Amino acid sequence: MSAVIDQAIPESSATEAIVTPGKAPRRRGSGRVGRVRWPVYLLLILAVLISVFPLYYMFVIASVGATAVTSSPPRLYPGFDFFELAAKVFETVPFVQSLINSVIVSLSIAVIAAVLCAMAGFAFAKLQFPGRNALFLIVLLTMTVPAQLSVIPQYLIISWLDWVDTLQAIIVPGLASAFGIFWMRQHMATTVSDELIQAARIDGANSWQLFWGIAFPVVRPAAFVLGLITFTSVWNDFMWPFIVLKSPELFTVQIALKQLQANRTIDLALTMGGSFMATLPLLIVFFFVGRRMVAGIMDGAFKG
Amino acid sequence: MLATPIAAIGALALALTGCSSGSSAADGDPNAEFEFWSFTGIGQQESVDRYLEKNPDAKVKLSEVGSTTETATALTAALAGGKVPDLVMIQNDDLPKFVENSGNFIDLRTLGGDDIGDDYLDWAIDAATGEDGSIIGIPTDVGGLSFAYRADLFEAAGLPSDPEEVVEMWSTWDGFIEMGKTYTEATGQPFVDNVETSVFFAAVNQVTEKYYSPDGELIFDSNPEVEEAFQVAVDTYEAGISAGIAAWSSGWAPGKANGAFAVTIAPSWILSGLKNDAPDTAGSWRIASIPGVGGNWGGSVIAIPARADNPEAAWQYIETMLSPEGQTEHFAETGTMPAAKGALESEDVLNYTDPFFGDSAIGTVMSESVLQFNSFYNGPDTSAIGGALLNALVDMEAGNVPPADAWTTGVDSANAAIGG
Amino acid sequence: MSVTATAIPAQKLADQPRPQRRRIRSSLAERIAPYAYVAPFFVIFAIFGLFPLLFTFYVALFDWNPIGEQTFVGFANFERLFADPRFWNAFVNTFGIFLISTIPQLLLALVLAHLLNHARLKWANFFRMSLLVPYITSVAATALVFGQIFDKNFGLLNWILEVFGLPSVNLLASQVGSWVVISAMVMWRWFGYNALLYLAGLQAIPREMYEAASVDGASGWQQFIHLTIPSLRPIIIFTVIMSTIGGLQIFTEPLLVAPETGLTCGAGRQCQTLSLFLYEQGFGQFEFGYGSAIGVALFVIVVVASLINFFLSTRTRGGR
Repeated sequence: MSAVIDQAIPESSATEAIVTPGKAPRRRGSGRVGRVRWPVYLLLILAVLISVFPLYYMFVIASVGATAVTSSPPRLYPGFDFFELAAKVFETVPFVQSLINSVIVSLSIAVIAAVLCAMAGFAFAKLQFPGRNALFLIVLLTMTVPAQLSVIPQYLIISWLDWVDTLQAIIVPGLASAFGIFWMRQHMATTVSDELIQAARIDGANSWQLFWGIAFPVVRPAAFVLGLITFTSVWNDFMWPFIVLKSPELFTVQIALKQLQANRTIDLALTMGGSFMATLPLLIVFFFVGRRMVAGIMDGAFKG
Repeated sequence: MLATPIAAIGALALALTGCSSGSSAADGDPNAEFEFWSFTGIGQQESVDRYLEKNPDAKVKLSEVGSTTETATALTAALAGGKVPDLVMIQNDDLPKFVENSGNFIDLRTLGGDDIGDDYLDWAIDAATGEDGSIIGIPTDVGGLSFAYRADLFEAAGLPSDPEEVVEMWSTWDGFIEMGKTYTEATGQPFVDNVETSVFFAAVNQVTEKYYSPDGELIFDSNPEVEEAFQVAVDTYEAGISAGIAAWSSGWAPGKANGAFAVTIAPSWILSGLKNDAPDTAGSWRIASIPGVGGNWGGSVIAIPARADNPEAAWQYIETMLSPEGQTEHFAETGTMPAAKGALESEDVLNYTDPFFGDSAIGTVMSESVLQFNSFYNGPDTSAIGGALLNALVDMEAGNVPPADAWTTGVDSANAAIGG
Repeated sequence: MSVTATAIPAQKLADQPRPQRRRIRSSLAERIAPYAYVAPFFVIFAIFGLFPLLFTFYVALFDWNPIGEQTFVGFANFERLFADPRFWNAFVNTFGIFLISTIPQLLLALVLAHLLNHARLKWANFFRMSLLVPYITSVAATALVFGQIFDKNFGLLNWILEVFGLPSVNLLASQVGSWVVISAMVMWRWFGYNALLYLAGLQAIPREMYEAASVDGASGWQQFIHLTIPSLRPIIIFTVIMSTIGGLQIFTEPLLVAPETGLTCGAGRQCQTLSLFLYEQGFGQFEFGYGSAIGVALFVIVVVASLINFFLSTRTRGGR
């Protein structure tokens, strides 16, 4: 079964340069040579426009009001009301507090999950122990069940632990990411060379030194990417935090945004404005670390 | 090197435990802090603020977020075995399933006496009464039902625009369809936005028995009244006067602003949305009674779960804020139609008007509609059956189901939904 | 432990002869160590990941009202499920949406990766980062925007069609049309992410291979089929499996794109996927046992589909 799993897992050669002294580092940014013809740029710009349009449209609605969608033809350029709307958002809901809560929750899960998954991934990839493959398979299998089914059993557990209406009720369940294990095991298996581990063992290193000293530094880019992916999905999650958090001072940003929607009466401009403002922090994070994330995704470079 | 991350995680853990909520006070203390879950749009924050003014010693933890269904989902998860709130709002569409399992809630007669139901509309209290007679919720508000129509568009089509004259013309559903035909012939535009919520839903709520017999037997497929109401909707569609725009679909808000239709069903809570979606049409709308006058859409009750930690405190809130006087005050502040009979007949309600709607007698119209509304038995599957019938009509309007087959499609779909 | 495609010479350390594995006396601490590494994750996982899964399997055997009675019914839920036309409708919808949203999307991602794979592309990082914007936009907001674009009366799409003199469309009313709308949303969200994964794979292919193939007279298309695809095989497998698992569980987009119809996604359940059907039964109807049975069925479907896709993907090769 392990062979089957391994076949599915792309390999990485990104850090061969580190572990194989004397070999020239793989050139990043390699690709086809020759001048880049203009149709390429045209198509790429089209792809960018498509990618960015909904976010832009959200901004348009927020800055113009509901008339942006009710007018015919629909309006596509922004207006001037955005700051007024933003002020209204801040007035109506505890937006700043919710941003802080979201940062706490998302950052905690991102960091801790990255480390925990790296540890477990290391064990699955590099350490031999009975039951290894069976355990890994069980973890993979849980990815196949939709999250809605977990709501009631999870709430039962959280109530029993008396963690209802606490931030740890969001953080702790979020740490067990099956995808995270899959991702980290793959990178561990293919980036960290067995020979290096063997050599270190012979030198007397224990597993902690192997993990922290050798393996983790090598997969750090991949762990970073996992952290960003996790951060994003936790930031955008509504249902579970909503069920578990009941004190307004603990609300995350998605719950706070929901307060802008009076039941069955959608103030479109306010909702879109709030959503846009909630996406801004993510955009900012991506602006600063985006390069690293892109590098990290591509660092799990897949070579046949 | 190891110490740093561990220290960081430790610090984080400490910070987190500090963020948990406070513990609840002793059971039985009416001023203990109680936890209150409400959905948005119903003005409970305002109500809680007034409660704290009247009763400065009380403490309330209000969580007012989410839609009615989301709140119902959270309540379900809580009742299934987790921590429950002390007080919760339940909307009438979600209510039957909770009433069916009435053991999950405190019988409010034990807290307020057997006659607590007398102050409220009969049908509203009946909806919150379990099989064993226990009253699990106090009605907080009702929707009422009216038609909102564009007076300017009516005039342009040669129809009368004064609410009294309009009500005269459409005093029956047949009269309504005739009016629609006149309008569409004159202007080439649809008259009403859709047939499922604006016609069927209104008509089917004017029956004496709906989907269940008074003993709780399922009769929806054999009840001639239900089938008649359905037929009225089909007739409206076949008369070609419907725009086929479902409520809350993506085209509904623009439709209100652009005059894509001239008439739409209007319970009281829809009015603020209308004003929001079509600000430029201020002054052109009017509110008038629907054909047959009686009707209601929506409304909610407030309940106390059986496992609540602070039922006394929760009950004190209900006593203070949901009496007829309390509901009248709430109406004055938020425009939410009260469910208490005394409040419905108060001056504040009866005299309520709004310039956006040309100063139509909104309060009187809504009040009349709920006072003339019949009580019929709503079983646990009422929402599912209603939803299936409504969807059959939506599908018909989308062109997927021929009008002749719509009824059987709806019935089959309802049967599938209830596992029959 | 690793698998190599034939076309590319793998300069891997694994080619070198392995040193004899010396029997190192492991202390007790060393033997426990692997479990210690896995333990923190597993404790949390067992409680919050595994328990809900087992709970679902257990509840599927009951007529389970979360706030009322719970009676054991054995396999009755599954019998009812297989006879339920709504289940098969959701099944068809799920696969329809999955196929439309995955196949064109991955092909598009491949094309995009090909475009990005130029050594001298200017603003390369800007393009790459922009392609991740859909990924961070919240699904709720996206659904609203797409709903507006596809509206039959006032939507942007119909307005553009009118400008070109074409008839307007009402995609959400028909079954396949609603699949197209949902697939558009899913494709939009993921195509940039997958494009970057493919780009990484493309950049790992040494230029010399292509040059050698050109010298041998292979056309661009032949190079693509016999060089590029086999080299990308491991990563194609990865994206196919992840897309399968995710695609068969699509929930939020159908839930939010047609809010007027509630939990059925279309009056005729045109776009109700299995996950949404599950949610409707569990939380809408309070039939949690039935909903769990749907969950079990979904579990089986996803596992089977993933295995099938996996074996299909591994069969593409240029001679082995």
